[in-house]
Amino acid sequence: MVKEQWDWEIRPGAEPIFKTIPELFRYKDLLNSLIKKELTASYQQSIIGVAWLFFQPLLTTIFYFIVFGRIVKVDTGGIPPLLFYMLGSILWSFFNDCLVGTMYTFMHQAHIFQKIYFPRLIVPLAIVINHSIRFSIQFLLFLFVYFGWSFIYGGLSISFSILLIPFLFLQLLMLAMGIGLFISVFISKYRDIEFVVQFLVRLFMFVSPVIYPASMVPKEYQTIYWLNPLTPIFEIIRSLFFIHQSFEVSRLMPSIIFTLVIFSYGLVVFQKREKIVMDVV
Amino acid sequence: MRDKVIIAENISKQYQLGILNSSSLKRDLEGFWRNIFRKQSTQISNGDLDKNSIWALKDIFFSISQGDVVGFVGHNGAGKSTLLKIIARIAAPTSGVVYGRGTIASLLEIGTGFHPELTGRENIYLNGNLLGMSKNQINDRLDAIIDFSGVEKFIDTPVKRYSSGMYVRLAFSVAAHIDPNILIIDEALSVGDTAFQQKCIAKMKDVSSQKDKTILFVSHDMNSVQQLCTNAFWLENGKIKAEGKPIDIVNQYLSFAKNATLLKEFKNDTETPGNEFVKIQRVELKQINAIGEAIINVHTALQLSVEFIMALQKPESIMVELLLFTYSGSTVLDIFSPITEMGNGLYDLKFSIPANFLNDGTYFISLEFFNKKAESLFKFQNCVFFEVVDDKDTTSEWYRKCWAAVRPNFPIQITQHT
Repeated sequence: MVKEQWDWEIRPGAEPIFKTIPELFRYKDLLNSLIKKELTASYQQSIIGVAWLFFQPLLTTIFYFIVFGRIVKVDTGGIPPLLFYMLGSILWSFFNDCLVGTMYTFMHQAHIFQKIYFPRLIVPLAIVINHSIRFSIQFLLFLFVYFGWSFIYGGLSISFSILLIPFLFLQLLMLAMGIGLFISVFISKYRDIEFVVQFLVRLFMFVSPVIYPASMVPKEYQTIYWLNPLTPIFEIIRSLFFIHQSFEVSRLMPSIIFTLVIFSYGLVVFQKREKIVMDVV
Repeated sequence: MRDKVIIAENISKQYQLGILNSSSLKRDLEGFWRNIFRKQSTQISNGDLDKNSIWALKDIFFSISQGDVVGFVGHNGAGKSTLLKIIARIAAPTSGVVYGRGTIASLLEIGTGFHPELTGRENIYLNGNLLGMSKNQINDRLDAIIDFSGVEKFIDTPVKRYSSGMYVRLAFSVAAHIDPNILIIDEALSVGDTAFQQKCIAKMKDVSSQKDKTILFVSHDMNSVQQLCTNAFWLENGKIKAEGKPIDIVNQYLSFAKNATLLKEFKNDTETPGNEFVKIQRVELKQINAIGEAIINVHTALQLSVEFIMALQKPESIMVELLLFTYSGSTVLDIFSPITEMGNGLYDLKFSIPANFLNDGTYFISLEFFNKKAESLFKFQNCVFFEVVDDKDTTSEWYRKCWAAVRPNFPIQITQHT
């Protein structure tokens, strides 16, 4: 008997990733409308609407400036404190939002996943793209303030290495998404993980150079401190804007390797479990 | 011979029972380590987990040809929905393979993914994309969708301001305009008012009359199965019990279902419905004057009898409220019993429905016990659940579906003036 040709087949177990990628392209319109939904829905029925996108980093910056700049008197290493905290808080909230957003994929979309099939990866993709758009807008705000500052007070200049920045953003995104994907498949079964992760992420901010520069860390902890994959990303982005000294790319390598590993591992785990996770939600 | 569009081979589905504790965490962690270090297959070995799991489907084989409209009938929990979920790729089978051809869309619910803050128009795009339509396809059908829904005046208003009727119309309208080769429908028809249901049935008929469309359809409404389907499957306990012509399958199923659900006796204490005041002992729905007839049709007179034990400190005046609902939840009857003095002891409640009163469809009855202060003592939600079928030949030219909740034989005459 001639083996018949079928368009699709359903088997137990995971879909290989090379089959998922063309499928993601077929669902690109869904990706678009999910991103649109996230963007429009989140600021409906709020009085100042999209202006929150600007207020949030500005208020955080002022708060950090008062608490860490004036009260705790953190030494920002010659960087204007306002700009220091603004860049730190925008970067951190991008990382935090991507991670937390991705990790709720199954929990928040359970009602849809139980009724309709589409490649599940669309949802975390829509979430990180949505946060990237917000981040880009906030980053433009930072650039605006940065150039304004530079115009008034002078002393700031940008080198061509600034072109590296998109790659660093991408790395930050992949790191957050990888961790988020990995957690998302477990969080739906054990809700405890949700609280543990929320808690750890909050603490993690304090061991990353968000509100203080890495140079403040005592010498004996420096090696460990630079093992934190966020440390080189934050430090390098900052130095591109303010310090201009050449940095050693080698310091970034462990972080890049860690990012690639956690991203692909998160993807594999997500892919492997996406079909069975819904049985236990 | 027509092409096969779906072939299922040896499909089984096992669900872990929802016991979540430290031992399930331990098992998961062990599995996790095993996976990392030994690369063992993740296939669950039989026997290992049998205690904590159930087989929702076991060794299912079937094939479906292009143009078939297939109805799936069976009790709740028989595995109908699980089977459709596997074909729709929402749940993965534990073992077995399904092969298929063509695009597939599932309507297990309408309005999935509707976001209250978005306008009707935005939701059409979002929901349409979720159901597998591309943006261009939606652009082409947008006017038809809005027109069919009948909410064009509010199409740019956020759907949170819609009435529930408008919401359902819009949701169904999107669903009705997806155009897959294979469509999976689960109870999506039991929505909206009757006028809208007619529109839906008409749309379904329209779709099913296109020779190349294949439809898989799960319903509790035996009538829709008979009217719309070209063949039917009857599932029981995760297995296919019978397959064939819809009329035969529906009759087999109903005569089986009758014995199973129309007499319920509660012997042991743990499953007795009730509380400290009322305990239900026995529920029976009898056909009056039926001569060997197994199936309740629109001409059958019915009698419900319920035996229950009352346990009251001192005798009280009790009233029982009886509600009769259609399957979609609209109330057909709300009847109050005479107020009766009750104390401790066994009581009988009898209630009759005359012949030629109910329409065809699925009904259920619930009872609620009240004391003199109008406090509810006990609510017996699912007292009895039954199906009434039409007796007419549904293929006859004169057949008209009657759309009311009841169908009493009130006289209607037409005479010619002389």
